[in-house]
Amino acid sequence: MKKRFLAWLYGDQDVMDGILDNFNKPDVSHSELKKITRAAEEEYDHRPEVLEAIGRDRARFRTIYLVIAFISCIMLTLVLLYTVSLLPEYGAENPRAVEVVSRYVEDGLEETGAVNIVSGMILDYRAFDTLGESHVLFTALICVMILLRIDRKNQRSDYEDYYTVRTDTYFDLSTDPVLRLVCAVIVPCILLYGIYILLNGQNSPGGGFSGGAVLGAGMILFSVAFGFDKADRFFTLKVSNIVTFVSLGFYSFAKGYVFFMGANGLENHIPKGTPGAIFSGGMILPLDIAVGCVVGCTMFGFYSLFRRGSIGGQI
Amino acid sequence: MIEWIRFWITAVILFCGILAFILEVAGLFRLGFVMNRMHASGIGDSFGLGCVVFAMIISSGLNLDSLKLFLLILFMWLTSPVSTHFLSRIEVNTNPFIARYVRFGTDYGKK
Repeated sequence: MKKRFLAWLYGDQDVMDGILDNFNKPDVSHSELKKITRAAEEEYDHRPEVLEAIGRDRARFRTIYLVIAFISCIMLTLVLLYTVSLLPEYGAENPRAVEVVSRYVEDGLEETGAVNIVSGMILDYRAFDTLGESHVLFTALICVMILLRIDRKNQRSDYEDYYTVRTDTYFDLSTDPVLRLVCAVIVPCILLYGIYILLNGQNSPGGGFSGGAVLGAGMILFSVAFGFDKADRFFTLKVSNIVTFVSLGFYSFAKGYVFFMGANGLENHIPKGTPGAIFSGGMILPLDIAVGCVVGCTMFGFYSLFRRGSIGGQI
Repeated sequence: MIEWIRFWITAVILFCGILAFILEVAGLFRLGFVMNRMHASGIGDSFGLGCVVFAMIISSGLNLDSLKLFLLILFMWLTSPVSTHFLSRIEVNTNPFIARYVRFGTDYGKK
């Protein structure tokens, strides 16, 4: 007893060893265990019949891939060359460019109902282009998610991530009272300003992209100041997915409807409203809101994925 | 007469603000250590900007524009010191040779 007490006193032996922790203590060290498992896995994967099957699959895939790549390259080249052949000659007077610009400036307010001509251009005349841009943002979010998202297959324990967890808690800004106090004042103002920009896109400089960026930046500041736990209570992966899907779906549906029913001089029966009012410009305001939602979700999703590998903390 | 007094008050405060900005630029380019440079730029960002915008408020009188300018001062004074605070915090946390430049805690005041 005394010997054991002295051993505990001088730190030679931990009395609680085997009682409190280290339930499954392996006989070998962690790195050695990793090495042994990897060797066994490699031996299993590199069986001759498996290697042969993989080689066969790879050769078949390579042939098909080459054929499809060749055909699509040729077709793309032909389409681009045909388009180039339709362009006016270099240096010649290009009537289309002059006509389009003067039409936008002179008849933009009357035809789109938007005081801000840029908004009328990107969300009415060229709304299809903006639709593609929103989908590009969505695709970028998906790509970042594929690359950085932590799921059950590549999840690491806090023990393996010891250094990352240490530095993350050490540099965590959410414990700072200065930032918390200032952000409690600033963040609502930023979000309100973002909503103002979003709703006034047809009347003043602004619109979906800038308003969504301000909203996303406000969300990022909120999660920096108060921690991800607070942001997770209302912005989960499910919410992000639903908001993005509803926005993009509404945009595609509404713009497709307008293209098929109202474009090319046909009668457009969506009212334009009085220029300068909030409800003016026909479809521009709802489309602005949809684009803003997508941009905000994408910005906050980027930040969240780069910082901790998930949106909303779920794995 | 009132206009004349207003013009001179505006001019004096504006001159103070411009002096602070000159100090800021000089300190930013002449000083070597990052904390000193942050201090120099803090002078311009807080005092200089406050002076210049306050001079604008006086010259424009009491109306909606002066309210917007007042909000500008408010938000700049809220956000600029906080960002400077975090820059200095990161510098203290990450610079291994920080003790060469700064005295901490109980060392403060010793030679």
